Amino acid sequence: MIIEAYLTLLRESPQIPTAATIAERAGYSVRSVFERFPDLHALRVAATDYAFTQGTAQAVARDFSGDRLTRLKSHVETRSWICEQWLPLWRALNANQGDSSELKSRINLIRQAILKRIELMYEAELATLGATERLQTLIAIESLIDFESWARMREFSGMSIEEAREVWVKSIDRLLPPTPVS
Amino acid sequence: MSGSDTPPSRPPRVDGRRLRSERTKQLIIEAYLALAQENSPQVPTAAEIAHRAGYSVRSVFERFPDIRTLQVAATDYALVQVAALAPARDSHGDRATRIRTQVETRGQSCERWLPLWRSLVANQGDSPELKQRIVLSRERVVARLEFMYAPELATLSDVERRHLLIVLESLTDVESWARMREFFGLSFEEACLAWRQAIDRLLPPAPTT
Repeated sequence: MIIEAYLTLLRESPQIPTAATIAERAGYSVRSVFERFPDLHALRVAATDYAFTQGTAQAVARDFSGDRLTRLKSHVETRSWICEQWLPLWRALNANQGDSSELKSRINLIRQAILKRIELMYEAELATLGATERLQTLIAIESLIDFESWARMREFSGMSIEEAREVWVKSIDRLLPPTPVS
Repeated sequence: MSGSDTPPSRPPRVDGRRLRSERTKQLIIEAYLALAQENSPQVPTAAEIAHRAGYSVRSVFERFPDIRTLQVAATDYALVQVAALAPARDSHGDRATRIRTQVETRGQSCERWLPLWRSLVANQGDSPELKQRIVLSRERVVARLEFMYAPELATLSDVERRHLLIVLESLTDVESWARMREFFGLSFEEACLAWRQAIDRLLPPAPTT
């Protein structure tokens, strides 16, 4: 309940929630919050782990054996959904990482998961590239589908979810080499 | 000079006190920027800024009513510096030259300004002034992309052009550069090459003249 209160508050406002607002939203006392988590940093780490588990469950890889367009659409749909759901937490995570090795390792873990998904979805195309070109393509796709890239399309450019997805599908399609004929 | 009766015009009087005050302001801004760069994303305290600039805390607050005002002034100063240090070059070159130049210039800007950019993004809070500067900075990046890739972009419809500019701006974002350097461990040259290849794939063919 405390973790969910923290995540809900983050979604509602970019301000980092205080112990008092978290306790109030969860319906507990501040003391109860600190009985479960020694400090707010420990709560942030626990919330990140909870969100990572949730995100992994919500973003099951689908259609990875489909044709190129099916894979592109499926990947972008899943990724955009995650961005839409978890952007506030991602921002809080980055803003609060400071010198925390726990939060930094979670950020790295999330990035590794994004890269692994790209590799899984576009295995056929990436297999045609040499090691350097493969890495460059992975980097470009990872940059393109970053949380903040999604946020810019939605918040800064005012695009609808569908329009933003279309932009990603077309761009990844251009970044990938041709699909080998089987 | 003419032989008319009008007295020779006097050079404008220099107000020494005002000049000194401006110089102090300038030094305070530079101290803020140096500390923000070193300790990014932490905002330096008034005491740290005063100490670095060689003034008292009171002097800082005589020139800037609060730290937020100083942050805004420092951001404006940095934006001018960014523009001055990254002039557009080779805009009439062939496609490969334009891509190489744009990427190198952008890479150098990212390299130089990354800590300050992080500090700005992390500390914007609810400040409309700082948010406006972030938007302005992104608009400048987009304007540069439009300028450098004008021949290729001219072949696209308005919507396609807008979409492609959004994608190119995301790709060449400061944090995208930081990931290549910090997370993937690429050298400056390798990072430039990754951007060059991606931009080349994303841009439509240049029209043949």
